[in-house]
Amino acid sequence: MQDFLTESGELIEQLDADLVRLEAAGSPEEAQELCNGCFRALHTIKGAASFLGLTAVTTFAHAAEDTLNRLRKGEVDVTEEVMDALLQSSDIVKGMIDQLSEGEEAHEGPKELIDTLHAIAEGKTDTAGAPDSQPTGTGSTDDTQGPDQEANTDDSKPGTPLNLGPQKIDLLEFMITDIQDASKQIGEAVEGLCNDATREESASHLAEVCEEMEKTAEFFELDELTSLIKVLASVALKLNDSSHESIQEITIRIKAAKFLIDQQAESLNDQRALSWPLETLCARLTQLAEDGSIDPQVKGQHQGDVQALLVLDGVIQEQAGAASQPQVEASPAPAETTDALAPGSQVSEDKQPAKKEEAKAAEKTDKDTGSRSTAKPVAEQTIRVEVSRLESLLNLVGQLVLNKNRVLALTRNIKDLPIAPETAEDFSDAAGDLDHLMSELQVSVMRTRMQPLAKLFDRYPRVIRDMARMTDKKINLEIVGKDTEVDKSVLEQLADPLVHILRNSSDHGVENPEDRKAAGKNETGTIHLEAEHQGSHVRVAITDDGKGLDREVLGQKAIEKGLTTPEKLEQLADEDVFGFIFGAGFSTAKQVSDLSGRGVGMDVVRTNINKLNGTINVMSKKGQGTTIEILIPLTVAIMPAMVVGVGDHVYSIPLQSIVEIVRPEPEEVKSVSGHPVMRLRDIVLPLVDMRQRLDEPPIEDGGRFAVVVAVGGQRVGLCVDRLVGQQEIVIKPLDDSFTQGGPFSGATIQEDGEVCLILDVVQLIRNSTSSFSSETKTAA
Amino acid sequence: MATDTQTPSTEDINTAIGHASNDGELLQLVSFEVGDEEYAVPILSVQEINRMMQITRVPQSPPFVEGVINLRGKIIPVIDLRKRFGLVELENSDDVRIIVVEIASRVIGFTVDRVNEVLRINSSIVEPPPSMVCGIDTDYVQGVGKLDDRLLILLHLEKLFTADEIAEIDQSSNAA
Repeated sequence: MQDFLTESGELIEQLDADLVRLEAAGSPEEAQELCNGCFRALHTIKGAASFLGLTAVTTFAHAAEDTLNRLRKGEVDVTEEVMDALLQSSDIVKGMIDQLSEGEEAHEGPKELIDTLHAIAEGKTDTAGAPDSQPTGTGSTDDTQGPDQEANTDDSKPGTPLNLGPQKIDLLEFMITDIQDASKQIGEAVEGLCNDATREESASHLAEVCEEMEKTAEFFELDELTSLIKVLASVALKLNDSSHESIQEITIRIKAAKFLIDQQAESLNDQRALSWPLETLCARLTQLAEDGSIDPQVKGQHQGDVQALLVLDGVIQEQAGAASQPQVEASPAPAETTDALAPGSQVSEDKQPAKKEEAKAAEKTDKDTGSRSTAKPVAEQTIRVEVSRLESLLNLVGQLVLNKNRVLALTRNIKDLPIAPETAEDFSDAAGDLDHLMSELQVSVMRTRMQPLAKLFDRYPRVIRDMARMTDKKINLEIVGKDTEVDKSVLEQLADPLVHILRNSSDHGVENPEDRKAAGKNETGTIHLEAEHQGSHVRVAITDDGKGLDREVLGQKAIEKGLTTPEKLEQLADEDVFGFIFGAGFSTAKQVSDLSGRGVGMDVVRTNINKLNGTINVMSKKGQGTTIEILIPLTVAIMPAMVVGVGDHVYSIPLQSIVEIVRPEPEEVKSVSGHPVMRLRDIVLPLVDMRQRLDEPPIEDGGRFAVVVAVGGQRVGLCVDRLVGQQEIVIKPLDDSFTQGGPFSGATIQEDGEVCLILDVVQLIRNSTSSFSSETKTAA
Repeated sequence: MATDTQTPSTEDINTAIGHASNDGELLQLVSFEVGDEEYAVPILSVQEINRMMQITRVPQSPPFVEGVINLRGKIIPVIDLRKRFGLVELENSDDVRIIVVEIASRVIGFTVDRVNEVLRINSSIVEPPPSMVCGIDTDYVQGVGKLDDRLLILLHLEKLFTADEIAEIDQSSNAA
């Protein structure tokens, strides 16, 4: 089940991406290939779902698959309506899978959408003179063929039978699995037919199976199979009215048909189609179903043996040179039949084809295993591992790193102890090796958690497409560097912010086609999404060529919101003004759209990015576009930090947020309305008295350090008593409700095993600057 | 960091069970002292009992939170039960222990003056808490066990470490 969920989740994502690409596909070949890809994905999902008995998913996937099938055959054009329906259904299947993974039952998909899909898929079938066996289950399509009917264009079926094109061959294996599944179901249904109680149910089941298989057979232009199945389907519909004796005759013939279907599937594996003279069998079946009568000459002659029946109905020629290999699948009790049968010779003669069949099957299996064993190493290149296992692995490595730190610390002290210098040297050698190995181990484990950004980026064409559709804009999304890898947790936490930014860019950034034309730009706007490694960081930049941010408007808004004053605004750099968009409740959109503009977004974006110890910056030129740049560390679990002392205690500050460390002279520290500040080159740097923040008694001591930290252009100096040194720290959550509330983002364990708290720079900056600016505002 | 669970002697158990012939289920408890009172918590909620270790103070946490400790790589908060019960702070003696409990998937440690024993008592000798027990809010007193020569206050850990605590945290964070 878990496998199904994971795999389907991935397939759906793939499907989503392919569908969007399909819509934009230029050449028919490309479209065909994408179409096949989508079909395959859906088919796999459907297969797995039906195996697990997830009817809701199966029904839905099936409807979508039908539509895709039409698309693939070129019978339905790729139109926006069709794609909308398909994309929606992919969303719904995804929703179902999500529900399932949360342990809930999947809800039925919305009926309308299924109907729409049916309408697209089968609208044509109706006009093209559908076979008689269509009435079940498709009745609903008639009344829902609304607008989508128009999407169906040319419905003339290709008159001449085609050889299987490469793309069809590609799909052959699916068809074979399909047929085999169906055949199995037929087998079950036949068993049910023999029993009066379950006959009705089995008959309708049989009819459904046949109907579905018929489509498959038709698609591959297996005329004989198609006609056989058609007959089966029509027989199935009439089974309810059949008498008991005729049922016997019918079921054996259905079994025979099933046998033939199985054989066909076998031979299809070798890309060869079998053909038989089926007329007698079909005619007798039909007749049986019609009025329950049968040629008395053949009645009962088969004695319940499928092979005998096939000969009787002229499907298989009698052959001499009998081999007595019982056909396992076909006859329920082969040994018994051989003994009891009247025309014994006939039976044993007929076994030959069966044997041939088996020999072929055996050969085939050999071939299969042969090809499989060569294919295997490729498949085994990757294994699926539960995330929790990776997490625990990472945790262990974290522990090891701490332990290593401890060993290193001990080794440093060992030299002062009265032991032989050689021993001390050996110790430090061993410790050095340990250090090396640990860093390698750490990197390797980290790497297992790395995933390409493609996982996220591949979803975005869809997002942009939907946005463009909804806002009537033309937007082209360019993606660069989606192979860039980041830690899984980073990836997850990056997902929402990026969607948000992209939505913002397409909603507020890119203008309407008319406005763009008027501004002398290409009607189609471009959003450029780019990712690259920069040292131990990943830089993700989203650039649009839209209207850009308006400093005036933003400034005005910021003043309204009380974030700044007109005087201060003038001194602010563009970047700082643009930074206001990250403020809570800040939206310059004139009207709030369904998609963005509610002003919660960018605030959340920044919070999320900061949680990752990342930074976010905005650059914009009015009329030319906006670039939003995100810089995040590759990993979040282990990072370098500066350990500082405040009072008797030590705290860690992530090195990433430290800009510099200065040592202000007491006379440099000034006070602006009660808040300490210092002049650092050309800026006024607010200072935070860490003693005060960390509940330490104030002391008279001038020799303090100001650790200058920055988040998103805002800088603050944290005044600490001591600098202890730089260290690799492993971040541990500090998430108990008792220990929350302080300015800490987590804790780490020191070399001596003691806990050291990690300062939350974002919170410190926010608190200090907000109190600072609110104070200055009241002062002003 | 050595685990220091005292195994009770047979005698202890016998006295504890006393007249265990009465009906009612048997409670297995760990008893400890804070101030002059003897308290007990169900043994199943106790993960381990540790000697005093280095506690890192967490600024801006509620006053009764002594800090956090490193419990084999996991960082857990430690509550000072003396402060929690509004008693005077004492100089740490060698008898002080940190009892680590797991309550609703939260792992919390709390300090007690001394751990006494593991004992079994019959639930029939446990009475509901009187309306006022030595100044402790009776919310987290589950009952009082009457032993032959002493009284045992059964603590309700969930209530001791959650509900009203959260309110206090809210207050303290608001104040901050």
